[in-house]
Amino acid sequence: MKERLLDRWVLPLGGQLVLIVILVVGGLVYAAMGGSGRDLLMTQMFINAILVVGLQVYIGNTGVLSFGHMGFAAIGGYVVALLVIDPVVKHVIIPDAPFGIVDIQMGPLAATVVAILVVVFVAFFVGLGLIRSVRYAGAVAATMITLALLFLVREMAANFVTLTAGNRSGLSFGPGQGLQGKTWIYIGLVFAVLVARMFRESRLGRLAQAMRDDDLAARAMGVNPAIPHMAALLLSVALVTVGASLRVLSLGSMTPNFFFFDFTLLTLAMLIVGGRGSVTGSLVGVAVITAGTEVTRVLAGDSVSVPGLDWLLRPGLSALFLGSAMLGFMLLRPQGILGDREVEDPLRRRLRKRATPPEPPTSLPELGDVRLVTHNITVRFGGFVAVNDVSLEVGVGEVVGLIGPNGAGKTTLINAITGVIQPNDGTWRLGDHDLAGLPSFQVARLGIARTFQNLRLFKSLTVRENISVPAIVAARHRRERTVADVDALIFAVGLWDDRESRAGDINYGAARKLELVRAAALAPEILLLDEPTAGMWEADSVAMVSQIRQVASWIGAGVLVIDHDLHFITAICDRIYVLDQGEIIAHGSAEEVRADSRVQAAYLGTDDPTG
Amino acid sequence: MNVFIQQLVDGLGQGSIYALLALSLAVIFGVMHLVNFAHGELITISSYVAYGLSTAGYGWEIIVPAILVTSIIASMAIEFLAFRWVRGSDEFTMLLTSFGVHFVVSALFLMFVSPKPLNFPKPSWIFNTIKVFGINLEIFDIITVVATVVTLLITVWILQKTMFGITLRAASLDFDAARLMGVKSNSVIRGAFALSGALAGVAGVFWLMRTGTAKPDAGLTPLLFGVIAVIAGGLESLSGAVIGGFALGIVQVMLRGYLPSEISGLTEGILFVLLAMLFIVRPQGLVSVSRAERV
Repeated sequence: MKERLLDRWVLPLGGQLVLIVILVVGGLVYAAMGGSGRDLLMTQMFINAILVVGLQVYIGNTGVLSFGHMGFAAIGGYVVALLVIDPVVKHVIIPDAPFGIVDIQMGPLAATVVAILVVVFVAFFVGLGLIRSVRYAGAVAATMITLALLFLVREMAANFVTLTAGNRSGLSFGPGQGLQGKTWIYIGLVFAVLVARMFRESRLGRLAQAMRDDDLAARAMGVNPAIPHMAALLLSVALVTVGASLRVLSLGSMTPNFFFFDFTLLTLAMLIVGGRGSVTGSLVGVAVITAGTEVTRVLAGDSVSVPGLDWLLRPGLSALFLGSAMLGFMLLRPQGILGDREVEDPLRRRLRKRATPPEPPTSLPELGDVRLVTHNITVRFGGFVAVNDVSLEVGVGEVVGLIGPNGAGKTTLINAITGVIQPNDGTWRLGDHDLAGLPSFQVARLGIARTFQNLRLFKSLTVRENISVPAIVAARHRRERTVADVDALIFAVGLWDDRESRAGDINYGAARKLELVRAAALAPEILLLDEPTAGMWEADSVAMVSQIRQVASWIGAGVLVIDHDLHFITAICDRIYVLDQGEIIAHGSAEEVRADSRVQAAYLGTDDPTG
Repeated sequence: MNVFIQQLVDGLGQGSIYALLALSLAVIFGVMHLVNFAHGELITISSYVAYGLSTAGYGWEIIVPAILVTSIIASMAIEFLAFRWVRGSDEFTMLLTSFGVHFVVSALFLMFVSPKPLNFPKPSWIFNTIKVFGINLEIFDIITVVATVVTLLITVWILQKTMFGITLRAASLDFDAARLMGVKSNSVIRGAFALSGALAGVAGVFWLMRTGTAKPDAGLTPLLFGVIAVIAGGLESLSGAVIGGFALGIVQVMLRGYLPSEISGLTEGILFVLLAMLFIVRPQGLVSVSRAERV
């Protein structure tokens, strides 16, 4: 229990706090050595850190590049400015503003809360569009929507002059009305960093990262990507609004170009240079880019002269620095300085190494007689019939094989059952549940888990985190049958030593095992295994046979194994279906199937019935 | 009715530029899966070439071919210096690479030439009109449309009839399969950037004739419209890009012409909203190409 507290809360949040202290003390020391210009720069750096951490929550966890966050920041900035500025001032600069806003006045804190509500409200609708476009047109389309948002907000701000005072003058606070001192900035910074970090470690955060790494596999594990995506977006824009509010209050004015292209470039450069995958990386990026722009600004000024380099030291150097930093990192180190490492990772790893191996897993409660039954499933791609009129059954407790040559339609059939594609015809049910038309995450939640023949692991997550994804889903949507101890599963299949390694770094055999255990962690009624030994050595295949049987008996599931290797299938299966050119041509025990003349002709070759 | 036809021709003129840019973006997307935000830099660089030649006393008969050559060379140079290194990376990396190129190029012009816009003379005939069936039409629009149609026909010929065009289309459909068939990925990608540069060059000629300005972000506005057009048309479809470009030009001119004056400043804003709506209603674009996902 103490270890868990240390691992989940004390180390991560403590690490972030230490980092904030270093950033703030470093900034204040630098400011104390110079004039008020430096103090202003450091104030802006702390505020930028809030904004960048806000960006990290969305971009880092979902992997969707957003240019629109500064559009949300602009909305928040306007709300704050409009609510905080003294009515006397407003009567002068925007006398005709609508909504009676001229006479409203609020304190900065209340105004920020209102701004957050407004921005979250807008972001919700934008988010619906983002989620849909990611699903059907990919992340690039979502990026374009965010870009459109950025330009739209600026256009409206520049044109809606009665409310925003337009491009020239903007909304200015009266004297003494802005932010005094840095207390609120520190509060905002600590709040934003801790919230961002907690989200990264949270269940929703984990699901978002799974979706980022492999959308299709996340769905197959029962994740509805819309939920973590939306959560990340709303949390992210809320934090960005806090930063925007502080920026507007500290600078004492708001104009349409305040949160536009240049500022988007600055904050994005900070995020990606440090490492968008981690909160630590974001903060490091803020420090590095702030230092870099400051150095280039000083160098480009009139007071500094470097013999031989004066041709380079001219105004615009910091813009060149920002662009080059972005370009250079994308070309040479796209994951940024830190990638997704956090400051306390070494300590945490040491703590986790000490964990003692768990007890062997206990079997889950027995299931009744639940069967997956497909009836006359037909899938056509244009004129090509990939799966024709296929009916088969798999019950809890049995291991059934589906065998057939390449291109027979085996994977297509699994895709149809799991809702990845919708068949043109047929019915398929699990127990009492009709599965027709259900999206794949719902099929998974009802109790059908699958693996992928070409390995679709969540590559940047660790082995343990990979398995935690279906476990999180099962704990929420499959309460009656939850795998209590994920570690026991990991240990039992021999992945214990790899448990803290990234799934992308483990060897092929281990990755195959992980693919199996990840699906098993959903504690499904039926497990669909798509070529579980593809690309494995003979000896490993044999080991895999016993592991599949073992895992299936722990979770009590029925298993449908796809393969084209008859030896492997006969070693593991009670019954076998033979699929050829989309049709079931034989069904029965291994002996019966081997003896079938059509099977021999179609699949085994007529002269060599033993395969 | 006359006004409507004038608007329509004007829209086709505008749309020509967008269509060419959209097509040039779609060609690159086909081989690299990259939405190239650095494509506007071809126009930016061309604008300074036009300014330089113009101040040196040359006329448009020299400037036009110079822009085309500049655009092709710049396109291939950017591929060689930047995009070659991120081939096969995820979308995130490639997008930000193209943005990085954009920011670096504009910063270089800002530092070493001038942060201020530099003007050069537009062609003398640019505002001339001609009467067709009693309707005044701008010669410039007509020339733009005709030149665009000719360019598109040449492009279609290249894509359909030449060996390069066939390999390019094969690579767009399935790069790995094309490579297995012996398509050299280096040469097909370079060729795609050259073709794309040429298309952007034609668009740049007309854009610069109209604006007559060289500035560090001269290419940003046309690029954004090109991007909107190519996305509206469906990124993976070359004909969709052209349709998207013309549609965008017409919609833009019509909005400008028919919106009440209080909100006509919001033309671009409304376009962005329409684009976002299009995404939500039809995320795959106007012209969709079926996409099979390998599981």
